[in-house]
Amino acid sequence: MSFDEQALIDHVTKQRWYGAKSREVAHAQLVDSVVVRTAEPQFALALAEMRYDTGAHDVYQLLWALRDDAIEIDGLTDPALARELVSAMRSGLTLQGAEGIVEFRPLEGFAGLGRELKEARDVGAEQSNTSIVFDDELILKVFRRLEPGVNPELEVLRFLTEHGFGNIAALGGWYSYTGGPLAATLGILQEYVRGGLDGWELALDELADDPDRFLGRLRRLGEVTGEMHRVLASDPSDPAFAPETPSVESLGLLTATVDEEIARVFLSLPDEAESVAPIAGRGEEVRDQLRQLTHTGAAGQFIRVHGDYHLGQTMWADDDWVILDFEGEPARSLAERRRKRSVLRDVAGMLRSFAYAASAVSLLRDTDPPEGWEDEARARFLEGYFETVDPALLPAGPAATERLLAVFELEKAVYELQYELDNRPAWVSIPVRGIQRLIEEPMPA
Amino acid sequence: MSEWFERDPLWFKRAVFYEVHIRGFYDGNDDGAGDFRGLIEKLDYLQWLGVDCIWLLPMYPSPLRDGGYDIADFYGIHPDYGTVDDFKEFVEQAHQRGIRVIADLVMNHTSSDHPWFQESRADPKGPRGDWYVWSDSDTPYKDARIIFVDTEPSNWTLDPVRGQYYWHRFFSHQPDLNFESLEVQEAMLNVLRFWLDLGIDGFRLDAVPYLFEEEGTNGENLPPTHEYLRRVRAEVDARYPDRVLLAEANQWPADVVQYFGDGDECQMAFHFPVMPRMFMAVRREDATPMYEILASTPDIPDNCQWGLFLRNHDELTLEMVTDEERDYMYTEYAKDPRMKLNLGIRRRLAPLLDGGRDEIELMHAILFSLPGSPVLYYGDEIGMGDNVYLGDRDGVRTPMQWTGDRNAGFSRADWAQLYLQPLMDPVYGYQAVNVEAQLRSPASFLRWLHRFIALRKEHPVFGLGTYEPLKSDNPRIFAHMRRWEEDVILCVHNLARSAQPVQLDLSKYDGMVPEEMFGRTSFPPIGELPYLLTLAPRGFFWFRLRQPT
Repeated sequence: MSFDEQALIDHVTKQRWYGAKSREVAHAQLVDSVVVRTAEPQFALALAEMRYDTGAHDVYQLLWALRDDAIEIDGLTDPALARELVSAMRSGLTLQGAEGIVEFRPLEGFAGLGRELKEARDVGAEQSNTSIVFDDELILKVFRRLEPGVNPELEVLRFLTEHGFGNIAALGGWYSYTGGPLAATLGILQEYVRGGLDGWELALDELADDPDRFLGRLRRLGEVTGEMHRVLASDPSDPAFAPETPSVESLGLLTATVDEEIARVFLSLPDEAESVAPIAGRGEEVRDQLRQLTHTGAAGQFIRVHGDYHLGQTMWADDDWVILDFEGEPARSLAERRRKRSVLRDVAGMLRSFAYAASAVSLLRDTDPPEGWEDEARARFLEGYFETVDPALLPAGPAATERLLAVFELEKAVYELQYELDNRPAWVSIPVRGIQRLIEEPMPA
Repeated sequence: MSEWFERDPLWFKRAVFYEVHIRGFYDGNDDGAGDFRGLIEKLDYLQWLGVDCIWLLPMYPSPLRDGGYDIADFYGIHPDYGTVDDFKEFVEQAHQRGIRVIADLVMNHTSSDHPWFQESRADPKGPRGDWYVWSDSDTPYKDARIIFVDTEPSNWTLDPVRGQYYWHRFFSHQPDLNFESLEVQEAMLNVLRFWLDLGIDGFRLDAVPYLFEEEGTNGENLPPTHEYLRRVRAEVDARYPDRVLLAEANQWPADVVQYFGDGDECQMAFHFPVMPRMFMAVRREDATPMYEILASTPDIPDNCQWGLFLRNHDELTLEMVTDEERDYMYTEYAKDPRMKLNLGIRRRLAPLLDGGRDEIELMHAILFSLPGSPVLYYGDEIGMGDNVYLGDRDGVRTPMQWTGDRNAGFSRADWAQLYLQPLMDPVYGYQAVNVEAQLRSPASFLRWLHRFIALRKEHPVFGLGTYEPLKSDNPRIFAHMRRWEEDVILCVHNLARSAQPVQLDLSKYDGMVPEEMFGRTSFPPIGELPYLLTLAPRGFFWFRLRQPT
């Protein structure tokens, strides 16, 4: 197949999953391609390189259909063709490209692959991937922007599936590319959680109608989180997951990283905006608070964590929580997303999510949460969590744990502040309140 | 190629290198010397700092009479540092963090303890009888200079076992291999293949100009040496993509560029002469030596790159300066005769600059602005000091200072068991200068350098762009432009101890707006008249020139 370079650029740059909208593409080329289905209509998979004017580049996965010699660039919208990817996994196909191979693999013992698939629907694209649901049974997630190395979504899901953690949508298979240009995970197949309610939507709905009902679910969410961390820390024989004792300077590195993020955000803080008034000009106070908080001594053990943990990554189904999306924060590099960290980083992410829910219900549903709802939500979640989690993963003693938790909440709130300033000015008050709370609350003794 | 990298044959042109003395970095097994297990523990730190490639000093079994450059087994790891498996684990862990690894390799010579030499001296007619350069007299190759003038009277030493003289360009315990032997050539290729198969990303080829000898020449940079390097490169390119060969050729730029060939020998070579001139320029408060050395640096092939450094594990070498310049450097930078070694000064960066923070930042700014890839030396990122009372080059190889705790946080062994004791003087000692304290202090040099490395890496122009000197009316100002694709960068450095004004002719960029790169502050637009800037003492500005909005 040959392609017009401009057509390729035009196609890729207008996709929802195309991540570099602000950058100018100077060149595009196909790095490699393989034919997945030879019968008409043909179906092919390709890696395309977009080269920007600054000399940097990204590699994207494209899927296309060939019908009557005409190319439809996104073949994934055709259910019949999307099914080909699943059947390739089922049969463990290996396809040869010019520069490398594409391997489709099933997870051993996964029963869901046995049936014939009928229906397929596109459930929308996120920042860097496309998802297709088959018969409300299976979901295929196709990674679009590719990075060298194994994707944490595959790595962590596979580990949790193989180590019997029940509160996930189990992994069914995957496909990946290995070749001269790079080695990368291309996509994963997992169970579809039928009838599941998105945790974030559920929080907003119940906060509006029956706030106590949602509070009643949070202890269990804490337990599931603690159990997830216990399982993630359970296999010292797997180097990618074995718990590690952090090096002496790990807290120093964390402090330096968060401190520089604070400095950067406060440098560009709009002075005049009313929403930032409670913290305007208080950057140095925030940095002092950070320095105080990081005097905690040992940080506990570091393990692989969820990495981007919040209510939007959970579902309520069959009276229990299901944890989704182990890809990590998409804006960070793969090396960073795979790094072992303190479990409290996940915990802090979820606590910040409660603050968001409490504020979002005012912004989106026009009702205020009951007084003290956020504090109660935090307390219930933490109660379930601390009862379940392995204490060896935490700093020694409750005060040190609280402090380190506050550091991660601060890190998250600062990240949120930058994000809201750039994207949703109406939401800026949420992280502002979070930061204010962290500098004004008494230090855990 | 490692699964953690995309194919990228020019990665080294945008990389920040970091030179590690394994023995001195971190002790992972409490025996008093650094090792690979320890190095693995510190990878998160190096990743945070922004290091793209670690350069390891020699790691092979060795009697250590020359810091490990006297290799006794090309296929092993020195037992103090661990095992070949530890090394593999280290490379894998580094790759997972997006860090590549190159290692020192000495092709020119071996230790006299190497079994090859033992066989060669014992059995002149045997299979390895001609693997070294033997002679019945010490008269051949008289035109070759002696490099270690402080210790070696001749390049020939009489071997009592074989009853012949053997050739050595360095210490007498480091006999030169005989590259006239095709077996030696092949043996060295096998060594390269062994480490490349283990995943290493390249080599720093030590002492590369001296592989061949020839009567009537100075024995440096000879045509057969280049021919052999082309063979090495072809072998690497054919089987091992994205690897780099970095030549150590302490020579004038016109000679060094020969090591790039037509882009078919080494991809990188150190630019030795630029370094002493940076020190001279700062001490004399005069940019002339900088402009001159860069003007006399020839263009290099597009797929090649200079390696630039301020300090390294050796003495600050003054081989590539005039006698007059050397006298000046000694007077200014080696006031105590103990500081001199061979033709150089054995001190670290911070003490050379009297610990002046502004000077240290300025030197890094100049280094990072020049066309080439910067190579940092371990410990200089926290401004570590040296100990001139230690022998040879040990003074600049003391343990990395991690914390203010016992043994500088370098080792849990007994103090007396350490390979060298960490510095304890009040200015540079580990209680004053350490990683832990500087990580926690936002104004520290370490934190500044971290931000500075991040800034440089946001702009590939520093690794890939063109260099154009910008002469001004003020000789104390070193100014130049870097350009690559859409990025146009103006770098202005004040070498003086006093504040300086400068007028730069930027009329080519009429209408563009200089944006200072650290704080992103826009400066007044450029017009047709000379552009006026005022710089603080030892201050510098880097601007990105933008179209007006």
